[in-house]
Amino acid sequence: MSGRLLRQTLRWQRVRLIVILVAGIAWGVLIPIIYGAFSEVFRDLVDSGAFPRELMNFGSGSLFTLPGAVTLGLQHPLAIAMVAIFAVGASATAVAGERASGTLEVLLARPISRLTLYASILGALLLAVLLVLGAILGGMIGGSVLQGITDEIDLGQMPLVLLNGFGLWAAFTTFGLAASVSFDRPGPAIGVSLAYLLANYFLEILGSLWPDAAWTQDYSLFHHFNPGQILTGELQAIDLVIVFVAALVPMIFAIVIFPRRDLAAPA
Amino acid sequence: MEGTPPTAVISTRGLTKHYGSVEALTSLTLEVNRGEIYGFLGPNGAGKSTMIRTLLGFLHATSGGATVLGMDIALDSVEIRRLTGYLPGGISLYDSLTGEQVLDYLVDLQGREPRRRAELCDRLELPGSVLRRKVRDYSRGMRQKIGVVQALQHDPELAILDEPTEGLDPLMQHAFYRILDDLRREGRTVFFSSHVLSEVERLCDRVAIIRAGRLMAIHDVGELLARRRRRVMLRWRGTPDLSALPGLEDVQVDGNRVIGMLSGEVAGFVRAIASPSLEDLTIEPASLEEAFLEYYAPAEDAEKAT
Repeated sequence: MSGRLLRQTLRWQRVRLIVILVAGIAWGVLIPIIYGAFSEVFRDLVDSGAFPRELMNFGSGSLFTLPGAVTLGLQHPLAIAMVAIFAVGASATAVAGERASGTLEVLLARPISRLTLYASILGALLLAVLLVLGAILGGMIGGSVLQGITDEIDLGQMPLVLLNGFGLWAAFTTFGLAASVSFDRPGPAIGVSLAYLLANYFLEILGSLWPDAAWTQDYSLFHHFNPGQILTGELQAIDLVIVFVAALVPMIFAIVIFPRRDLAAPA
Repeated sequence: MEGTPPTAVISTRGLTKHYGSVEALTSLTLEVNRGEIYGFLGPNGAGKSTMIRTLLGFLHATSGGATVLGMDIALDSVEIRRLTGYLPGGISLYDSLTGEQVLDYLVDLQGREPRRRAELCDRLELPGSVLRRKVRDYSRGMRQKIGVVQALQHDPELAILDEPTEGLDPLMQHAFYRILDDLRREGRTVFFSSHVLSEVERLCDRVAIIRAGRLMAIHDVGELLARRRRRVMLRWRGTPDLSALPGLEDVQVDGNRVIGMLSGEVAGFVRAIASPSLEDLTIEPASLEEAFLEYYAPAEDAEKAT
């Protein structure tokens, strides 16, 4: 890994990262506040039969408990979008974008192996993903403190939530980067990576909203990140294994493919 | 590496690169010696960039092999690039950085001191005020100048330049030629591709001509120039005496004017035609253009030429 390349990759993302970190903290703070303000209202609505319970769930999350709200906050499209900016957008364009613009050959004219380049970009993007997840979780802890409801979650489990979440998003990041080193243009790399993310998300949400399709959730990576379960001390080790294996497979693919690819002159 | 450095800075042996059924390079064998400025000529799509990209490890040879600075291109690509400066054809730079930031970033990744940067920027008229501007505001010529500086700023043992004067104005082209002259004097090796015949003639010690991925010829430019035919125009008072024109071929007579192609020594010819009735004599400089155009011609013509 090249420290200079890693720093420069983070520097390219600097403004975006700062904006997303601020937004992540704000979103995290908001979740316990929404939970504190509306959980009783939602519970009464469901108990009265006026509103189906399924529609009050979102993925594996809900607003009936704080751990459920934390899960909802991390599986909400807004949170997904914040992390996906780096895990999908930045990773899919990282190499293919440089290749299309012609700067990749200027970079690779230096004494840098393709594996070093790959590892440096991956390191920077994983760090960005970790920071965004940390900002959202940090915001959630802050919001819980502000609401005075920290006794409803086991804060000691938060590092495990971060680890599981990191594993999930590392899987999308390595997939995006594997696509990026496989294509000459960023368009197809973004398309494939986004389709992978959306397919996983669709399977998870479909299963949560339609009980007959609950089996589809097992095939979604999102289903293997359940902060609510972790915060109640029920972490499934298999979930960690699945997300980290899902991160490892594209990484191995990229490590095999990238150094062997022919990089012809950009059109 | 131990002992005396190898004379051949670049050495290819049957270097071949195919993309499926497309033969981009076919069995290319050549040697570039230390301290030489070596021109690599060919029309667009001939395989010049493919050859350069294979030497630098961007492409993997289908068969054959090559060494650069005594190191195998397949095994020591990173080390080769440490000692080499490369200017890609139609270079792209990071638009969001300033020229200075680009040069700092690239030399930092190179891991060597930018020993020549100040001198190169001075000679290519890149003052601090220009270097502090974003690359996105640069003209094509300015980008090319930055490209030249990034390739040479760390004083590489070997410079590989892909169409280096593309986009440079005539003044800057000459400044660039003088830089290459100095590199040659310092014993550096330059391998550059071009399709500008005049610059090859001006700069190169030797030249390889490639067409459709095949090496057509390797020539010593000095010898080639000495052997080339010169266009000669003579005007006489009265009727010209064609019997006293040794070495003149393809003679055309137009009244008192004679036009022809002279091969061989100029001095002997001038002595032979010296006469009080000779009114005017023009001998055009020998040019490589004619020789190269033979190789650029369609396949059947080129085969006749070899």
